Amino acid sequence: MITVELCMGTSCHLLGTQELMDVLDALPAEQRRQLEIKGVTCFKNCGKGPNVRVNGVLLESATPDSLLEVLQTSIEQLEGITNSAGN
Amino acid sequence: MTLHAEVTVSQLCKKGEELCGDNVQVTRTANSVIVVVSDGLGSGVKANILATLTTKIASSMLARGADLDDVVETIAQTLPVCRERKIAYSTLQILRIDYDGNATLVEFDSPRTLLSRAGHVIPFPAQPRTIGGKTVLAGQFELLESDWLLLVSDGVIHAGIGGLLPLGLGWKGAADRFAEDVGKAKDTADLCTSLINCCEGYYLGEPGDDTTVVAIKIRSPRRINLMMGPPAAPDRDADVVRSFLAAPGQKYVSGGTTATMVSRILGNPLKVSLEYDDPTIPPIAHLEGIDLVTEGVLTLNAAADRLRSLADLKRSTRRDGATLAARLLLEGDHIHIWAGGAVNPAHQNPLLPSAMNIKMQVLSRLRSQLEALGKIVHIEWV
Repeated sequence: MITVELCMGTSCHLLGTQELMDVLDALPAEQRRQLEIKGVTCFKNCGKGPNVRVNGVLLESATPDSLLEVLQTSIEQLEGITNSAGN
Repeated sequence: MTLHAEVTVSQLCKKGEELCGDNVQVTRTANSVIVVVSDGLGSGVKANILATLTTKIASSMLARGADLDDVVETIAQTLPVCRERKIAYSTLQILRIDYDGNATLVEFDSPRTLLSRAGHVIPFPAQPRTIGGKTVLAGQFELLESDWLLLVSDGVIHAGIGGLLPLGLGWKGAADRFAEDVGKAKDTADLCTSLINCCEGYYLGEPGDDTTVVAIKIRSPRRINLMMGPPAAPDRDADVVRSFLAAPGQKYVSGGTTATMVSRILGNPLKVSLEYDDPTIPPIAHLEGIDLVTEGVLTLNAAADRLRSLADLKRSTRRDGATLAARLLLEGDHIHIWAGGAVNPAHQNPLLPSAMNIKMQVLSRLRSQLEALGKIVHIEWV
């Protein structure tokens, strides 16, 4: 599983948390299933919102593209681990 | 003990008139609620002006602490004289209810005010007195929780006259109806609707006079505690949250940082929802022990907007933070706002739209909106 924590605070909301949420919702079901999405009130990094934490790593000033890029990497890593474990 | 007087007003205009010739002013001061009812001579615009002038003079003078005698005298001397009838005239009912339950009534030429206690309906106790050359009825009475009061204009007394009811509903008829409805009504709005519908029915939908019903219920106040923002001094967090939690009434926590602080001190986990019911309002959160948890300034700013249109708010099926907050605040009579003085770093971000109100502005907007709805709002900076 990949943990995605989205900041729902005022500042991040205004700077685009919802667009990030929309991107996550629009992911193919297969990929969406690998994500555990949570809301967080504040990462204390309001000046560089919107903030998202993917598997414990904070992504600041996130955009739909930058989030997707990080997720893609995480998914590939996860699949790599699963595949190698399968082999 | 502090009591709350819930007040609802319902009116019918005389058939063919756009303006009501009866006027009601409800004013809440720090110590009392003042209800003034006046029925102006005639109907339509002239009656409306007379009645409005009377209630405005009375309620503004009383709200500034004027003596009841002075108020009646001033009105007697100020009212303009009707050209046709050569008299200056409007009826007057003034009822002041202090929050300790002490009620003072003055009536001039109006139907008697009714009091209902434990299933019995009586006229509000009052004796004749002469003030400013006019004979008025004046009285004082100690109200208790669960008492109801009813003020009506003569449109209620005359309902159905010459038609369905040869002599009209009459004071006795109105009192009986009131006694019957008090047992069934869950609030004053209910009672007003029932009585005004009854009058409209007797008038066969064509009221022969302006008709006004003011229902008042004495009950203990519903309290809402709203905490927004952590205290200015971080070492006071625990003390402030504990007294917030210990305060009687429902609890509403507004703002993510504040919610995190309350969750930490309460020892219960904060669960942030991911549901966007309204795209402009950040999702709410859940915290055991707290009735509502939402984001801060955006939600409260939108809640103040929602409170401007009560009909829309009641119809709305939305579950976004602002709608839930507006509904919760609407239920309250006394709203205690625990405003934290801590500076929010998020509000210092130059990238944010300049239209975003800071906490103080949002709170003062919310306060005036709630006060306009008859709520008693107390903002305490912590």
